[in-house]
Amino acid sequence: MFRFRRTDPHTLAGAYALDALGDADRARFERHLSGCPSCAQEARGLQEATSRLADTLATAPPPGMRERVMAAAARTRQNPPAAETPHAGWPARVGSRGQAGWRGRGARRWGMLVAAGALGIALVLGGLAFRTEQQLNQMRDGSRAIAAVLNEPDAAMMTVTATTRGSATIVMSHRARALVFTAARLPALPSSQRYELWLMGLDGPRAAGMLPPARSGMTVPVIVSGLRSGDEFAVSAEPAGGTRHPTSPMILQVDLSS
Amino acid sequence: MTDSQPWPPGGGHGAGGPGLGEPGPGGRADGQDGGDLAVLLGQVARGDEVAYGAVYGQLAGHVLGVARSVLRDPAQAEEVAQEVLLEVWRDAARFDAARGTAKGWVLTLAHRRSVDRVRSEQASADREQRAARADISYDVVAETVAARLDAERVRRCLGSLTELQQESITLAYYRGCTYREVAALLKVPVGTVKTRMRDGLIRLRDCLGVD
Repeated sequence: MFRFRRTDPHTLAGAYALDALGDADRARFERHLSGCPSCAQEARGLQEATSRLADTLATAPPPGMRERVMAAAARTRQNPPAAETPHAGWPARVGSRGQAGWRGRGARRWGMLVAAGALGIALVLGGLAFRTEQQLNQMRDGSRAIAAVLNEPDAAMMTVTATTRGSATIVMSHRARALVFTAARLPALPSSQRYELWLMGLDGPRAAGMLPPARSGMTVPVIVSGLRSGDEFAVSAEPAGGTRHPTSPMILQVDLSS
Repeated sequence: MTDSQPWPPGGGHGAGGPGLGEPGPGGRADGQDGGDLAVLLGQVARGDEVAYGAVYGQLAGHVLGVARSVLRDPAQAEEVAQEVLLEVWRDAARFDAARGTAKGWVLTLAHRRSVDRVRSEQASADREQRAARADISYDVVAETVAARLDAERVRRCLGSLTELQQESITLAYYRGCTYREVAALLKVPVGTVKTRMRDGLIRLRDCLGVD
């Protein structure tokens, strides 16, 4: 009766999209998808089509449901993008109120896709603010460099909470000696100030660039390259023109060593 | 039903189409197509409760409809629908616009959770019997013309499938049957059901103009 191994797994794409696979079949098919991009693409298209079947089912929710759902949301903590349980193999030290964990080196490719997706949203949201062609070109170049980091085989992601408010998502590759940084809901700064990024090495802090002002609370992803071993990554609020040395307390600090 | 309506609405967005508008508090005049829904989800991911109210207005009726269809029991369906909507709040940051529409993401979740619930509760034999008895009707309380047009289009596309494709898909989607159960119910080999599900969905996808 159980013929999964002998049949072509591709034929399961429809049943998968319809949630018509049992747990074991589903798990196997998802493993298959992780190694077959064209299958994953087909599955997504079929899922999209499947979800349209719900158009025939739309019904008026009962009175009171909206209030119940809104009230439940108001007291429910939201998950950061693709947060996973901290991986034991890769501890990280973070700012005082921060809590974080690197996704370990063994993290699956899938994790990186999620990371790329989260950053993709940041790109889209940030993109709304970009208007001139020059800016678009700069963004495209930036995106390429960012994509290169995300695609490194050792790329790992973490989210970290700032000591002030807001959070940051960092994807780092030791191989590329670079990281991609994006932040959400950091406190807005007066126009005379910007957030400055730092690499804190054995020889002291090195300025690693300024964070563009956030749009709708979300910063566009920025790339920080030239990581050295033993570096920590940190962020502080500084004069808009940037400084060579930090002049205010770090709002976020992450140990990058593996 | 008119065939002249552009699909998907707004061109290549592959968007989820106009949902059930809800004029109540929190509803927004914008956010009528899936592109806006994706933006709304981005706002929800950052804790925006007004945006969440707008997402609720557009999708709660669909989520509840899916849960009712699969679970049948109204109280249980409402419970699952609320869980799904809360999950949308909690995991909005994990929605990835590159992998599909916002509406697709939410409704895929709604179906998955409904099916998980029904399977965790019942032995499959019991469910098969139930599914065999159940008539496959999908009643709609479509409150807006747009929602009715969406539903009409889906029905028309379903109608263009072969009988076996249609039966396989409706038993799985609207009743939450596994393909093995569908095969047993329709008395056809499991391999046939798998293929009919896939080629039926491909035809549905093309008919609906989903990317």
